[in-house]
Amino acid sequence: MAFIEADGLTKTFTVRKKRQKGQLLREKTQIRALDALSFSIEKGELVGYIGPNGAGKSTTVKLLSGILTPDGGTARVGGRVPWQERRQHASHIGVVFGQRSQLWWDVPILDSFDLLREIYRVPEDRYKERLNALTEALQLGELLRTPLRLLSLGQRMRAELCGSLLHGPELLFLDEPTIGLDAVSKLALRDFLMQENRRNGTTVLLTTHDMEDISALCSRVMVLGHGKKLFDGALPDLLARYDTRRIITLRYAGEVPLPQLPAGCACEAEGGQYKITYAPDKLPTSQLIALLQSAGDIRELTAQPQNIDHLIAAMYREMDL
Amino acid sequence: MNTIKLYIKSVGMLMKSQLQYPASFLMQTLAQLVMEAEEFLAVILIVDRFDRLNQWMPGDLFFFFGVMSVTFYLTEIFGRGITGNFPSLLRSGQLDTLLLRPRGVLTQVLCSAVDPRRIACVAVGAAALIIGSRMAQVSWTPLKALALAESLVFGCLLLLGLFLIEAVFCIYSVKSVELVNAITYGGRSACQYPIDIYPRPLRVMFTVIAPFALVMHVPVGYLLDKPLFGWPGWTAFVCPLAGAAVFALMYAVFRRAMRHYRSTGS
Repeated sequence: MAFIEADGLTKTFTVRKKRQKGQLLREKTQIRALDALSFSIEKGELVGYIGPNGAGKSTTVKLLSGILTPDGGTARVGGRVPWQERRQHASHIGVVFGQRSQLWWDVPILDSFDLLREIYRVPEDRYKERLNALTEALQLGELLRTPLRLLSLGQRMRAELCGSLLHGPELLFLDEPTIGLDAVSKLALRDFLMQENRRNGTTVLLTTHDMEDISALCSRVMVLGHGKKLFDGALPDLLARYDTRRIITLRYAGEVPLPQLPAGCACEAEGGQYKITYAPDKLPTSQLIALLQSAGDIRELTAQPQNIDHLIAAMYREMDL
Repeated sequence: MNTIKLYIKSVGMLMKSQLQYPASFLMQTLAQLVMEAEEFLAVILIVDRFDRLNQWMPGDLFFFFGVMSVTFYLTEIFGRGITGNFPSLLRSGQLDTLLLRPRGVLTQVLCSAVDPRRIACVAVGAAALIIGSRMAQVSWTPLKALALAESLVFGCLLLLGLFLIEAVFCIYSVKSVELVNAITYGGRSACQYPIDIYPRPLRVMFTVIAPFALVMHVPVGYLLDKPLFGWPGWTAFVCPLAGAAVFALMYAVFRRAMRHYRSTGS
Protein backbone atom coordinates (compact mmCIF):
# COMPACT_ATOMS: atom_id res chain seq x y z
CA MET A 1 0.00 0.00 0.00
CA ALA A 2 1.18 3.48 -0.83
CA PHE A 3 2.18 5.94 1.89
CA ILE A 4 -0.76 8.24 1.21
CA GLU A 5 -3.85 6.56 -0.10
CA ALA A 6 -6.93 8.68 -0.80
CA ASP A 7 -10.02 7.01 -2.11
CA GLY A 8 -13.12 8.88 -3.17
CA LEU A 9 -12.64 11.79 -0.75
CA THR A 10 -15.69 14.04 -0.77
CA LYS A 11 -16.29 17.16 1.27
CA THR A 12 -19.27 19.46 1.01
CA PHE A 13 -19.66 22.82 2.70
CA THR A 14 -22.98 24.45 3.30
CA VAL A 15 -22.88 28.16 2.67
CA ARG A 16 -25.71 30.36 3.81
CA LYS A 17 -26.45 33.26 1.54
CA LYS A 18 -27.30 36.64 2.90
CA ARG A 19 -31.01 37.03 3.51
CA GLN A 20 -32.77 39.04 0.82
CA LYS A 21 -35.51 41.49 1.57
CA GLY A 22 -38.85 39.83 2.25
CA GLN A 23 -37.23 36.44 2.59
CA LEU A 24 -37.95 34.58 5.77
CA LEU A 25 -35.23 31.97 5.69
CA ARG A 26 -31.78 32.28 4.33
CA GLU A 27 -31.02 30.30 1.24
CA LYS A 28 -28.46 27.61 1.61
CA THR A 29 -26.17 26.41 -1.10
CA GLN A 30 -23.99 23.38 -1.08
CA ILE A 31 -20.49 23.77 -2.30
CA ARG A 32 -18.68 20.62 -3.17
CA ALA A 33 -15.09 21.35 -2.25
CA LEU A 34 -13.90 17.85 -3.05
CA ASP A 35 -15.66 15.48 -5.36
CA ALA A 36 -14.61 11.84 -5.10
CA LEU A 37 -10.91 12.60 -5.13
CA SER A 38 -8.57 9.63 -5.31
CA PHE A 39 -4.81 9.47 -5.53
CA SER A 40 -1.85 7.75 -3.98
CA ILE A 41 1.58 9.04 -3.11
CA GLU A 42 4.63 6.93 -2.35
CA LYS A 43 7.02 7.58 0.46
CA GLY A 44 9.73 10.09 -0.41
CA GLU A 45 7.84 11.65 -3.31
CA LEU A 46 7.80 15.40 -3.85
CA VAL A 47 4.43 16.20 -5.31
CA GLY A 48 3.20 19.54 -6.56
CA TYR A 49 -0.45 20.24 -6.04
CA ILE A 50 -1.90 22.99 -8.19
CA GLY A 51 -5.24 24.37 -9.18
CA PRO A 52 -6.98 27.74 -9.20
CA ASN A 53 -8.22 29.38 -6.00
CA GLY A 54 -11.10 27.46 -4.51
CA ALA A 55 -10.26 24.22 -6.29
CA GLY A 56 -10.10 22.29 -3.02
CA LYS A 57 -6.35 22.17 -2.44
CA SER A 58 -6.46 23.43 1.13
CA THR A 59 -9.42 21.20 1.90
CA THR A 60 -7.37 18.21 0.80
CA VAL A 61 -4.52 19.24 3.06
CA LYS A 62 -6.92 19.76 5.96
CA LEU A 63 -8.43 16.33 5.46
CA LEU A 64 -5.08 14.59 5.19
CA SER A 65 -3.77 16.38 8.27
CA GLY A 66 -6.83 15.48 10.35
CA ILE A 67 -8.35 18.94 10.84
CA LEU A 68 -11.49 18.12 8.89
CA THR A 69 -13.60 15.02 8.51
CA PRO A 70 -14.75 14.11 4.97
CA ASP A 71 -18.39 13.48 4.08
CA GLY A 72 -17.44 10.47 2.03
CA GLY A 73 -14.47 8.38 1.00
CA THR A 74 -11.47 7.22 2.95
CA ALA A 75 -7.85 8.14 3.29
CA ARG A 76 -4.88 6.57 4.95
CA VAL A 77 -1.59 8.24 5.62
CA GLY A 78 1.13 5.87 6.77
CA GLY A 79 -1.63 3.45 7.73
CA ARG A 80 -3.53 5.98 9.84
CA VAL A 81 -6.91 7.54 9.17
CA PRO A 82 -6.02 11.18 9.90
CA TRP A 83 -9.35 12.44 11.26
CA GLN A 84 -9.85 9.40 13.46
CA GLU A 85 -6.41 9.46 15.03
CA ARG A 86 -5.74 13.19 14.85
CA ARG A 87 -3.33 13.45 17.77
CA GLN A 88 -1.38 10.31 16.93
CA HIS A 89 -1.21 11.43 13.32
CA ALA A 90 -0.10 14.94 14.19
CA SER A 91 3.25 13.81 15.60
CA HIS A 92 4.14 12.31 12.22
CA ILE A 93 3.34 15.27 10.01
CA GLY A 94 4.47 18.85 9.64
CA VAL A 95 2.37 21.58 8.10
CA VAL A 96 3.35 25.05 6.96
CA PHE A 97 0.64 27.46 5.94
CA GLY A 98 2.19 30.36 4.04
CA GLN A 99 -0.36 32.77 5.44
CA ARG A 100 -0.62 31.50 8.97
CA SER A 101 2.01 31.34 11.63
CA GLN A 102 2.45 28.62 14.17
CA LEU A 103 5.16 30.41 16.11
CA TRP A 104 4.62 32.95 18.88
CA TRP A 105 4.72 36.55 17.77
CA ASP A 106 6.43 38.36 20.61
CA VAL A 107 9.06 35.94 21.85
CA PRO A 108 12.44 34.88 20.42
CA ILE A 109 11.97 32.04 17.96
CA LEU A 110 14.20 29.79 20.06
CA ASP A 111 11.59 30.00 22.84
CA SER A 112 8.91 29.08 20.33
CA PHE A 113 10.94 26.08 19.22
CA ASP A 114 11.45 25.03 22.81
CA LEU A 115 7.70 25.11 23.43
CA LEU A 116 7.13 23.10 20.26
CA ARG A 117 9.58 20.54 21.60
CA GLU A 118 7.38 20.28 24.68
CA ILE A 119 4.19 20.04 22.63
CA TYR A 120 5.56 17.32 20.38
CA ARG A 121 7.33 15.57 23.25
CA VAL A 122 10.65 15.46 21.38
CA PRO A 123 13.44 13.97 23.55
CA GLU A 124 16.06 16.57 24.54
CA ASP A 125 19.01 15.05 22.70
CA ARG A 126 17.10 14.44 19.49
CA TYR A 127 15.77 17.98 19.66
CA LYS A 128 19.26 19.46 19.97
CA GLU A 129 20.57 17.44 17.08
CA ARG A 130 17.63 18.34 14.88
CA LEU A 131 17.71 22.01 15.84
CA ASN A 132 21.41 22.25 15.00
CA ALA A 133 20.94 20.64 11.63
CA LEU A 134 17.95 22.81 10.77
CA THR A 135 19.38 26.12 11.95
CA GLU A 136 22.45 25.47 9.86
CA ALA A 137 20.55 24.46 6.75
CA LEU A 138 18.13 27.34 7.08
CA GLN A 139 20.73 29.84 8.26
CA LEU A 140 18.81 30.74 11.36
CA GLY A 141 21.75 30.81 13.76
CA GLU A 142 21.84 34.52 14.44
CA LEU A 143 18.09 34.91 14.40
CA LEU A 144 17.30 32.47 17.18
CA ARG A 145 17.26 35.19 19.82
CA THR A 146 15.12 37.55 17.76
CA PRO A 147 11.37 37.77 18.34
CA LEU A 148 9.31 36.62 15.39
CA ARG A 149 7.74 40.04 14.87
CA LEU A 150 11.12 41.55 14.01
CA LEU A 151 11.92 39.06 11.25
CA SER A 152 11.46 39.72 7.57
CA LEU A 153 8.97 37.62 5.65
CA GLY A 154 11.71 35.40 4.23
CA GLN A 155 13.31 34.89 7.62
CA ARG A 156 9.94 34.18 9.14
CA MET A 157 9.17 31.53 6.57
CA ARG A 158 12.50 29.86 7.30
CA ALA A 159 11.68 29.91 11.00
CA GLU A 160 8.24 28.43 10.32
CA LEU A 161 9.78 25.68 8.27
CA CYS A 162 12.25 24.93 11.04
CA GLY A 163 9.42 24.81 13.58
CA SER A 164 7.42 22.37 11.52
CA LEU A 165 10.36 20.02 11.00
CA LEU A 166 11.72 19.91 14.55
CA HIS A 167 9.87 16.74 15.42
CA GLY A 168 11.15 15.01 12.29
CA PRO A 169 7.87 14.45 10.45
CA GLU A 170 7.79 11.84 7.69
CA LEU A 171 5.30 13.95 5.74
CA LEU A 172 5.38 17.68 5.13
CA PHE A 173 2.46 19.72 3.81
CA LEU A 174 3.43 23.08 2.41
CA ASP A 175 0.65 25.48 1.59
CA GLU A 176 2.05 28.28 -0.58
CA PRO A 177 5.37 28.48 1.25
CA THR A 178 6.97 30.95 -1.16
CA ILE A 179 4.13 33.46 -1.20
CA GLY A 180 5.51 36.97 -1.00
CA LEU A 181 9.16 35.94 -0.85
CA ASP A 182 11.94 37.64 -2.81
CA ALA A 183 13.97 35.73 -5.39
CA VAL A 184 16.89 34.92 -3.08
CA SER A 185 14.65 33.60 -0.32
CA LYS A 186 12.66 31.56 -2.79
CA LEU A 187 15.74 29.90 -4.20
CA ALA A 188 17.13 29.19 -0.74
CA LEU A 189 13.83 27.70 0.35
CA ARG A 190 13.66 25.46 -2.70
CA ASP A 191 17.21 24.28 -2.14
CA PHE A 192 16.42 23.44 1.42
CA LEU A 193 13.28 21.49 0.56
CA MET A 194 15.16 19.51 -2.04
CA GLN A 195 17.83 18.63 0.52
CA GLU A 196 15.36 17.72 3.22
CA ASN A 197 13.55 15.44 0.80
CA ARG A 198 16.73 13.75 -0.37
CA ARG A 199 18.49 13.43 2.94
CA ASN A 200 15.61 12.44 5.22
CA GLY A 201 13.25 10.94 2.68
CA THR A 202 10.54 13.32 3.80
CA THR A 203 7.47 13.09 1.62
CA VAL A 204 6.36 16.56 0.54
CA LEU A 205 3.02 17.73 -0.76
CA LEU A 206 3.45 21.26 -2.04
CA THR A 207 0.52 23.51 -2.76
CA THR A 208 1.47 26.58 -4.70
CA HIS A 209 0.57 29.07 -7.38
CA ASP A 210 4.19 29.61 -8.21
CA MET A 211 4.95 27.42 -11.20
CA GLU A 212 8.67 27.92 -10.74
CA ASP A 213 8.37 26.13 -7.40
CA ILE A 214 6.81 23.19 -9.15
CA SER A 215 9.25 22.99 -12.00
CA ALA A 216 12.24 23.32 -9.67
CA LEU A 217 11.08 20.80 -7.09
CA CYS A 218 8.41 18.42 -8.16
CA SER A 219 8.76 15.34 -10.31
CA ARG A 220 5.04 14.90 -10.19
CA VAL A 221 2.13 17.30 -10.45
CA MET A 222 -1.50 16.90 -9.57
CA VAL A 223 -3.96 19.41 -10.95
CA LEU A 224 -7.20 19.97 -9.13
CA GLY A 225 -10.26 21.84 -10.37
CA HIS A 226 -13.74 22.01 -8.89
CA GLY A 227 -12.79 19.32 -6.42
CA LYS A 228 -11.78 16.84 -9.10
CA LYS A 229 -8.39 15.59 -10.17
CA LEU A 230 -7.74 16.73 -13.72
CA PHE A 231 -4.18 15.65 -14.21
CA ASP A 232 -1.67 13.49 -12.42
CA GLY A 233 1.77 12.99 -13.88
CA ALA A 234 5.07 14.59 -14.75
CA LEU A 235 5.24 18.34 -15.37
CA PRO A 236 6.70 18.05 -18.92
CA ASP A 237 3.77 15.81 -19.89
CA LEU A 238 1.34 18.35 -18.55
CA LEU A 239 3.06 21.15 -20.42
CA ALA A 240 3.26 19.17 -23.65
CA ARG A 241 -0.50 19.03 -23.70
CA TYR A 242 -0.98 22.74 -23.59
CA ASP A 243 2.30 24.05 -24.78
CA THR A 244 1.47 24.27 -28.49
CA ARG A 245 2.70 27.75 -29.34
CA ARG A 246 6.21 29.19 -29.41
CA ILE A 247 7.37 32.73 -29.94
CA ILE A 248 10.60 33.92 -31.53
CA THR A 249 11.73 37.48 -32.09
CA LEU A 250 14.31 38.49 -34.64
CA ARG A 251 15.97 41.49 -36.22
CA TYR A 252 17.59 41.60 -39.64
CA ALA A 253 20.71 43.49 -40.59
CA GLY A 254 19.21 46.38 -42.54
CA GLU A 255 15.71 46.80 -43.91
CA VAL A 256 14.46 43.39 -44.87
CA PRO A 257 10.79 42.63 -45.51
CA LEU A 258 9.58 39.47 -43.86
CA PRO A 259 9.10 36.53 -46.23
CA GLN A 260 5.64 35.10 -46.73
CA LEU A 261 4.94 32.81 -43.74
CA PRO A 262 2.83 29.66 -43.95
CA ALA A 263 -0.73 29.76 -42.60
CA GLY A 264 -1.02 29.40 -38.84
CA CYS A 265 1.84 31.78 -38.09
CA ALA A 266 1.22 35.23 -36.68
CA CYS A 267 3.64 38.12 -36.97
CA GLU A 268 3.89 41.49 -35.31
CA ALA A 269 6.37 44.07 -36.50
CA GLU A 270 7.73 46.66 -34.14
CA GLY A 271 10.53 49.06 -34.98
CA GLY A 272 12.40 46.67 -37.26
CA GLN A 273 11.83 43.77 -34.90
CA TYR A 274 9.55 40.89 -35.78
CA LYS A 275 7.71 38.78 -33.27
CA ILE A 276 6.56 35.49 -34.74
CA THR A 277 4.16 33.09 -33.05
CA TYR A 278 3.99 29.61 -34.51
CA ALA A 279 3.02 26.05 -33.65
CA PRO A 280 6.11 23.79 -33.72
CA ASP A 281 4.05 20.65 -34.30
CA LYS A 282 2.71 22.11 -37.57
CA LEU A 283 5.73 24.08 -38.67
CA PRO A 284 9.03 22.68 -37.36
CA THR A 285 11.30 25.31 -35.88
CA SER A 286 14.22 24.45 -38.20
CA GLN A 287 11.99 24.95 -41.23
CA LEU A 288 10.83 28.33 -39.96
CA ILE A 289 14.37 29.48 -39.31
CA ALA A 290 15.50 28.33 -42.75
CA LEU A 291 12.67 30.32 -44.28
CA LEU A 292 13.56 33.44 -42.30
CA GLN A 293 17.22 33.09 -43.13
CA SER A 294 16.52 32.91 -46.83
CA ALA A 295 15.10 36.44 -46.70
CA GLY A 296 18.22 38.16 -45.41
CA ASP A 297 21.00 38.37 -42.88
CA ILE A 298 19.68 37.77 -39.34
CA ARG A 299 21.46 39.88 -36.79
CA GLU A 300 19.57 38.85 -33.68
CA LEU A 301 17.26 36.00 -32.82
CA THR A 302 15.72 35.05 -29.51
CA ALA A 303 13.39 32.24 -28.66
CA GLN A 304 11.16 33.26 -25.81
CA PRO A 305 11.28 30.81 -22.92
CA GLN A 306 8.01 29.03 -22.17
CA ASN A 307 6.01 30.94 -19.68
CA ILE A 308 4.55 28.39 -17.37
CA ASP A 309 2.04 30.78 -15.89
CA HIS A 310 0.56 31.47 -19.31
CA LEU A 311 0.39 27.78 -20.00
CA ILE A 312 -1.37 27.05 -16.76
CA ALA A 313 -3.80 29.90 -17.35
CA ALA A 314 -4.53 28.46 -20.78
CA MET A 315 -4.96 25.06 -19.24
CA TYR A 316 -7.40 26.33 -16.61
CA ARG A 317 -9.36 28.06 -19.36
CA GLU A 318 -9.49 24.95 -21.44
CA MET A 319 -10.56 22.82 -18.51
CA ASP A 320 -13.20 25.44 -17.85
CA LEU A 321 -12.13 26.26 -14.30
CA MET B 1 1.83 15.55 34.23
CA ASN B 2 3.34 16.49 30.94
CA THR B 3 0.26 18.55 30.18
CA ILE B 4 0.68 20.58 33.34
CA LYS B 5 4.32 21.19 32.50
CA LEU B 6 3.30 22.33 29.03
CA TYR B 7 0.71 24.68 30.50
CA ILE B 8 3.16 26.21 32.95
CA LYS B 9 5.74 26.68 30.21
CA SER B 10 3.16 28.25 27.89
CA VAL B 11 1.94 30.61 30.59
CA GLY B 12 5.52 31.64 31.29
CA MET B 13 6.06 32.44 27.66
CA LEU B 14 2.79 34.33 27.28
CA MET B 15 3.63 36.46 30.34
CA LYS B 16 6.99 37.13 28.78
CA SER B 17 5.35 38.31 25.56
CA GLN B 18 3.01 40.61 27.46
CA LEU B 19 5.92 42.16 29.28
CA GLN B 20 7.48 43.06 25.94
CA TYR B 21 5.29 46.14 26.19
CA PRO B 22 5.80 47.14 29.84
CA ALA B 23 4.22 50.60 29.67
CA SER B 24 1.09 49.33 28.01
CA PHE B 25 0.90 46.46 30.47
CA LEU B 26 1.24 48.78 33.45
CA MET B 27 -1.39 51.21 32.22
CA GLN B 28 -3.88 48.48 31.48
CA THR B 29 -3.31 46.84 34.84
CA LEU B 30 -3.91 50.18 36.49
CA ALA B 31 -7.11 50.63 34.51
CA GLN B 32 -8.28 47.22 35.70
CA LEU B 33 -7.52 48.22 39.27
CA VAL B 34 -9.64 51.36 38.99
CA MET B 35 -12.45 49.44 37.34
CA GLU B 36 -12.66 46.72 39.96
CA ALA B 37 -12.21 49.20 42.83
CA GLU B 38 -15.28 51.02 41.49
CA GLU B 39 -17.22 47.77 41.56
CA PHE B 40 -16.25 47.28 45.16
CA LEU B 41 -17.16 50.88 45.95
CA ALA B 42 -20.62 50.29 44.51
CA VAL B 43 -21.11 47.42 46.96
CA ILE B 44 -19.86 49.55 49.82
CA LEU B 45 -22.31 52.33 48.93
CA ILE B 46 -25.24 49.94 48.68
CA VAL B 47 -24.38 48.35 51.99
CA ASP B 48 -24.04 51.81 53.53
CA ARG B 49 -27.57 52.59 52.39
CA PHE B 50 -29.29 49.47 53.70
CA ASP B 51 -26.86 48.45 56.41
CA ARG B 52 -28.14 44.89 56.05
CA LEU B 53 -29.73 42.64 53.43
CA ASN B 54 -31.85 39.89 54.98
CA GLN B 55 -29.57 38.36 57.61
CA TRP B 56 -26.38 39.53 55.83
CA MET B 57 -24.31 42.24 57.53
CA PRO B 58 -21.89 44.52 55.60
CA GLY B 59 -18.89 42.31 56.36
CA ASP B 60 -20.74 39.28 55.02
CA LEU B 61 -21.57 41.08 51.80
CA PHE B 62 -17.97 42.16 51.28
CA PHE B 63 -16.98 38.54 51.72
CA PHE B 64 -19.46 37.41 49.07
CA PHE B 65 -18.15 40.08 46.73
CA GLY B 66 -14.56 39.02 47.39
CA VAL B 67 -15.19 35.36 46.64
CA MET B 68 -16.85 36.16 43.31
CA SER B 69 -14.22 38.68 42.33
CA VAL B 70 -11.24 36.45 43.12
CA THR B 71 -12.81 33.44 41.39
CA PHE B 72 -13.93 35.28 38.30
CA TYR B 73 -10.66 37.07 37.67
CA LEU B 74 -8.47 34.08 38.46
CA THR B 75 -10.44 32.31 35.75
CA GLU B 76 -9.84 35.25 33.43
CA ILE B 77 -6.11 35.27 34.12
CA PHE B 78 -5.50 31.59 33.57
CA GLY B 79 -8.41 30.62 31.36
CA ARG B 80 -8.26 33.53 28.95
CA GLY B 81 -8.10 31.14 26.01
CA ILE B 82 -11.64 30.05 26.82
CA THR B 83 -13.11 33.13 28.46
CA GLY B 84 -12.04 35.57 25.79
CA ASN B 85 -9.91 34.33 22.95
CA PHE B 86 -11.80 31.40 21.55
CA PRO B 87 -13.98 33.31 19.06
CA SER B 88 -11.01 35.09 17.52
CA LEU B 89 -9.02 31.86 17.48
CA LEU B 90 -11.80 30.36 15.42
CA ARG B 91 -12.29 33.29 13.11
CA SER B 92 -8.63 33.83 12.38
CA GLY B 93 -8.16 30.16 11.61
CA GLN B 94 -5.50 29.88 14.29
CA LEU B 95 -7.46 26.94 15.68
CA ASP B 96 -6.30 24.95 12.64
CA THR B 97 -2.74 25.39 13.79
CA LEU B 98 -3.66 23.95 17.17
CA LEU B 99 -5.39 20.99 15.57
CA LEU B 100 -2.20 20.14 13.71
CA ARG B 101 -0.43 19.32 16.96
CA PRO B 102 -0.48 16.11 18.93
CA ARG B 103 -2.32 17.60 21.90
CA GLY B 104 -5.87 18.04 23.08
CA VAL B 105 -7.69 21.05 21.71
CA LEU B 106 -8.81 22.40 25.06
CA THR B 107 -5.32 22.05 26.53
CA GLN B 108 -3.91 24.10 23.69
CA VAL B 109 -6.67 26.70 23.82
CA LEU B 110 -5.86 27.16 27.50
CA CYS B 111 -2.18 27.35 26.65
CA SER B 112 -2.83 29.99 24.01
CA ALA B 113 -3.69 32.98 26.18
CA VAL B 114 -3.41 34.47 29.66
CA ASP B 115 -4.50 37.83 30.93
CA PRO B 116 -2.15 38.89 33.73
CA ARG B 117 -3.64 42.41 33.89
CA ARG B 118 -6.54 40.95 35.80
CA ILE B 119 -4.23 40.43 38.77
CA ALA B 120 -5.32 43.93 39.83
CA CYS B 121 -8.93 42.74 40.03
CA VAL B 122 -7.91 39.68 42.02
CA ALA B 123 -6.10 42.01 44.42
CA VAL B 124 -9.25 44.07 44.97
CA GLY B 125 -11.22 40.87 45.51
CA ALA B 126 -8.67 39.59 47.99
CA ALA B 127 -8.82 42.90 49.84
CA ALA B 128 -12.62 42.60 50.01
CA LEU B 129 -12.24 39.08 51.39
CA ILE B 130 -9.88 40.21 54.12
CA ILE B 131 -11.98 43.25 55.07
CA GLY B 132 -15.13 41.12 55.03
CA SER B 133 -13.52 38.41 57.13
CA ARG B 134 -12.37 41.00 59.74
CA MET B 135 -15.72 42.79 59.89
CA ALA B 136 -17.73 39.60 60.12
CA GLN B 137 -15.23 38.28 62.67
CA VAL B 138 -14.95 34.90 60.99
CA SER B 139 -13.44 32.35 63.32
CA TRP B 140 -11.16 30.48 60.92
CA THR B 141 -10.68 26.72 61.24
CA PRO B 142 -8.92 24.33 58.87
CA LEU B 143 -12.30 23.10 57.69
CA LYS B 144 -13.42 26.62 56.84
CA ALA B 145 -10.21 27.26 54.93
CA LEU B 146 -10.82 24.05 53.02
CA ALA B 147 -14.38 25.13 52.21
CA LEU B 148 -13.10 28.44 50.85
CA ALA B 149 -10.38 26.78 48.77
CA GLU B 150 -12.89 24.30 47.39
CA SER B 151 -15.30 27.09 46.53
CA LEU B 152 -12.58 29.00 44.64
CA VAL B 153 -11.36 25.99 42.67
CA PHE B 154 -14.79 24.73 41.68
CA GLY B 155 -15.91 28.28 41.02
CA CYS B 156 -13.17 28.56 38.39
CA LEU B 157 -14.29 25.26 36.83
CA LEU B 158 -17.90 26.45 36.81
CA LEU B 159 -16.95 29.64 34.99
CA LEU B 160 -14.82 27.76 32.47
CA GLY B 161 -17.77 25.46 31.86
CA LEU B 162 -20.13 28.39 31.30
CA PHE B 163 -17.72 30.11 28.94
CA LEU B 164 -17.44 26.85 27.03
CA ILE B 165 -21.12 27.27 26.10
CA GLU B 166 -20.13 30.34 24.16
CA ALA B 167 -17.28 28.44 22.54
CA VAL B 168 -19.70 25.74 21.41
CA PHE B 169 -22.01 28.31 19.85
CA CYS B 170 -19.02 29.79 18.06
CA ILE B 171 -18.05 26.47 16.54
CA TYR B 172 -21.45 26.21 14.91
CA SER B 173 -21.90 29.81 13.84
CA VAL B 174 -18.33 31.16 13.76
CA LYS B 175 -19.37 34.24 15.68
CA SER B 176 -19.78 35.00 19.34
CA VAL B 177 -23.18 34.90 20.96
CA GLU B 178 -23.91 37.76 23.31
CA LEU B 179 -26.78 35.85 24.86
CA VAL B 180 -24.38 33.61 26.71
CA ASN B 181 -22.96 36.65 28.45
CA ALA B 182 -26.18 36.80 30.46
CA ILE B 183 -25.10 33.83 32.52
CA THR B 184 -21.35 34.48 32.57
CA TYR B 185 -20.91 38.21 33.11
CA GLY B 186 -24.53 38.47 34.27
CA GLY B 187 -23.89 35.67 36.73
CA ARG B 188 -20.88 37.48 38.11
CA SER B 189 -22.81 40.72 38.67
CA ALA B 190 -25.84 39.03 40.20
CA CYS B 191 -24.06 36.47 42.33
CA GLN B 192 -21.67 38.80 44.01
CA TYR B 193 -24.67 39.16 46.33
CA PRO B 194 -26.08 36.14 48.14
CA ILE B 195 -28.75 34.28 46.22
CA ASP B 196 -31.50 34.53 48.85
CA ILE B 197 -32.04 38.24 48.23
CA TYR B 198 -33.38 37.46 44.74
CA PRO B 199 -36.86 36.41 43.59
CA ARG B 200 -37.56 32.82 42.73
CA PRO B 201 -36.82 32.78 38.94
CA LEU B 202 -33.34 34.16 39.46
CA ARG B 203 -32.71 31.74 42.32
CA VAL B 204 -33.61 28.85 40.07
CA MET B 205 -31.43 30.20 37.28
CA PHE B 206 -28.35 30.55 39.49
CA THR B 207 -28.88 27.30 41.35
CA VAL B 208 -29.90 24.90 38.63
CA ILE B 209 -28.63 26.32 35.33
CA ALA B 210 -25.55 28.25 36.38
CA PRO B 211 -25.08 26.99 39.95
CA PHE B 212 -23.15 29.93 41.41
CA ALA B 213 -25.31 29.61 44.55
CA LEU B 214 -24.19 26.02 45.12
CA VAL B 215 -20.54 26.65 44.36
CA MET B 216 -20.09 29.97 46.20
CA HIS B 217 -22.99 30.94 48.42
CA VAL B 218 -23.45 27.66 50.27
CA PRO B 219 -19.81 27.42 51.41
CA VAL B 220 -19.64 31.15 52.22
CA GLY B 221 -22.81 30.84 54.34
CA TYR B 222 -21.05 28.00 56.19
CA LEU B 223 -17.91 30.11 56.70
CA LEU B 224 -19.92 32.98 58.13
CA ASP B 225 -21.84 30.62 60.42
CA LYS B 226 -25.05 31.70 58.72
CA PRO B 227 -25.93 28.60 56.67
CA LEU B 228 -27.76 29.46 53.45
CA PHE B 229 -31.38 28.24 53.68
CA GLY B 230 -30.36 26.64 56.98
CA TRP B 231 -28.64 23.74 55.19
CA PRO B 232 -26.35 21.47 57.26
CA GLY B 233 -22.58 22.00 57.30
CA TRP B 234 -21.57 19.11 55.04
CA THR B 235 -23.44 20.70 52.13
CA ALA B 236 -20.73 23.37 52.05
CA PHE B 237 -18.31 20.66 50.91
CA VAL B 238 -20.58 18.77 48.56
CA CYS B 239 -22.46 21.54 46.74
CA PRO B 240 -19.39 23.12 45.08
CA LEU B 241 -18.90 19.88 43.15
CA ALA B 242 -21.70 21.19 40.94
CA GLY B 243 -19.03 23.41 39.35
CA ALA B 244 -17.04 20.34 38.30
CA ALA B 245 -20.24 18.75 36.97
CA VAL B 246 -21.01 21.77 34.78
CA PHE B 247 -17.46 21.78 33.48
CA ALA B 248 -17.50 18.04 32.73
CA LEU B 249 -20.80 18.32 30.92
CA MET B 250 -19.73 21.29 28.81
CA TYR B 251 -16.39 19.67 28.06
CA ALA B 252 -18.23 16.67 26.64
CA VAL B 253 -20.47 18.96 24.58
CA PHE B 254 -17.43 20.90 23.38
CA ARG B 255 -15.73 17.72 22.22
CA ARG B 256 -18.79 16.70 20.29
CA ALA B 257 -19.04 20.15 18.74
CA MET B 258 -15.41 20.05 17.61
CA ARG B 259 -16.34 17.16 15.33
CA HIS B 260 -18.50 19.61 13.43
CA TYR B 261 -15.67 22.09 13.14
CA ARG B 262 -15.40 23.25 9.55
CA SER B 263 -12.40 25.51 9.52
CA THR B 264 -12.15 28.82 7.65
CA GLY B 265 -10.31 30.09 4.59
CA SER B 266 -7.14 28.67 3.17
